[in-house]
Order: sequence, then C-alpha cells, then structure tokens
Amino acid sequence: MRQAGTYSAILSGGVSGRTGPHSLPLARIKKIMKRSGDDVKMISGEAPIVFSKACELFIEELTQRAWMMTLQGKRRTLHKEDVAAAVMATDIFDFLVEMVSDSNGTQMAPATKSNISVAER
Amino acid sequence: MAEAPASPVGGGGSHESGGEQSPRSTVREQDRFLPIANISRIMKKALPANAKIAKDAKETVQECVSEFISFITSEASDKCQREKRKTINGDDLLWAMATLGFEDYIEPLKLYLQKYREMEGDSKVSAKGGDNSARKDAAGPQPGPSTQGQMGQQGSFTQGMNYMQPQFHNGDISS
Repeated sequence: MRQAGTYSAILSGGVSGRTGPHSLPLARIKKIMKRSGDDVKMISGEAPIVFSKACELFIEELTQRAWMMTLQGKRRTLHKEDVAAAVMATDIFDFLVEMVSDSNGTQMAPATKSNISVAER
Repeated sequence: MAEAPASPVGGGGSHESGGEQSPRSTVREQDRFLPIANISRIMKKALPANAKIAKDAKETVQECVSEFISFITSEASDKCQREKRKTINGDDLLWAMATLGFEDYIEPLKLYLQKYREMEGDSKVSAKGGDNSARKDAAGPQPGPSTQGQMGQQGSFTQGMNYMQPQFHNGDISS
C-alpha cells in the first residue's frame, strides 16, 4: 500500500511515483539544507517541497544552457566542460564558478582553449 | 589573529559549513547529493532525444544542485535570523530565490505549491472546498491541522508576494 498514489497523479506528471509525487527525494533535500549552515535548524514542511520543484527548474536550465555549449562545439554529447562553460556564461550561476573551475584543473579548458587559439592566430 | 588567513577566498564561501576541504573523501555521498538517477532523468527530459550526457556532466550537475540548495538556504536562513524566526519556510526560500536572481522560478513554484496545497486541502478539509474560492482566499487559509504552524503562512504566498501577479484566481476576487 503506497501512499504516493493519492496525489502523485496530479503533481508528478511523468515521474511514475517512484519518489512519491515529487521528482526528488524530500528527505535528501532536507539533509542538504541542514548542511548549509549551523543556524539552519528548523525547516518547515513545505520548504523541501519548494526545493524539489526549484531544483528541477535549476537542473533543466543548467542542462539546456550547457547543451547550447555542446552544440556550439558541434558535438552530441554533453560534457562537464559544457556545464562549466554554461556556468561561466550565466550571471545567476556565478555562485557555481568556483566549484566548476576548481574541482579539477582541466575545467578551465574551454576558456583557456579559446584564449590560446586567439593568441595563436 | 591566526584565523584571518585561514578563511578561504571569501566571497560566497561562508555557507559551506566546513565540508569543503575534503571533496571526495569520507563524507557519505548520500548526505551531500541528490541521487544521480533522478538528476539524470531530469537532465534527459530537458534535452532532445538524440542528446547524450556524459557521466562527468551528470556528476557536475549533481554537485551544482547541492550548491544551489545551500546557496538559497543560506540566504533564507539569514533572513530568518534577521527577523528572529527559527523556522525556514517556503516563503523564505521564494524570497531568497527572487533576491538571488532566480525570479523566473517563482511563478512555477507558486503554481506547484498551489496544486500541492489543494491536494492537501482536499484530503484534510474537503468539506470546505467547492464553496467560494474568493471568500476562502480573503479569509486566509482554512487553518488545517494546527500541528503544522508553518501552514498558517499559506495565504502569504498568493497574496503577500506582490512582486508577481497571481495568475490563478482568474478574476475571482471581485468580492
């Protein structure tokens, strides 16, 4: 007897009820929220629900912007470098810049490459 | 005195409460990230059918989503502290997103919450449902279970967030 059925039909669209009505697990979201700071102690029941949808929107936007970078490179596979390039090119993703650039030294590749090719000419 | 140099590059780093030093070591993945299968599914949905996604791209997006949650939560948490409230609620998150440049998300999020609340409301106070939505709205939320104090905030999403026009209630509020 799964409870998810009660409202998943309306909310989930295509999510097939695996995580309940939301496409991302609420408990996990809550955990990540709590890791954000020592003063994050109490979280209302609705907050993870807001995030489950917000993260979906965020992933869609980041993915689509990264895909534009993939296409610019005339490729068909979206790579980490495309995500990094999308982050660099988008103002609201500024908070991610450090993450996509320092997780691995090669991350600067797209930008560096274009600099080099400009310099080489 | 020795503390100043220890703090990292500054900027938005303050919301990371310490785990940053050991990126891929002992901290359990399931405490830090959303499941990669879910992320992958949402990514695929956003792309044309012939698109392929490398594993490293999925992992990067996975990290970015956690960072996004922390980023928004920290801003919301600051607001709560300023206002001397203990609980971060949905309003605080919407406010934080609007503040940090994600105002495009507000409208779909409000609709999502609206649907969710209707479902919750249907199962809890179904008797009141069909009556008169304008009246119900003006009177504030029908206080459901008093166990969830935050639910008392219900009305404020649709009414208080006046930087967005409420789309639902089409002309209903004529009183």
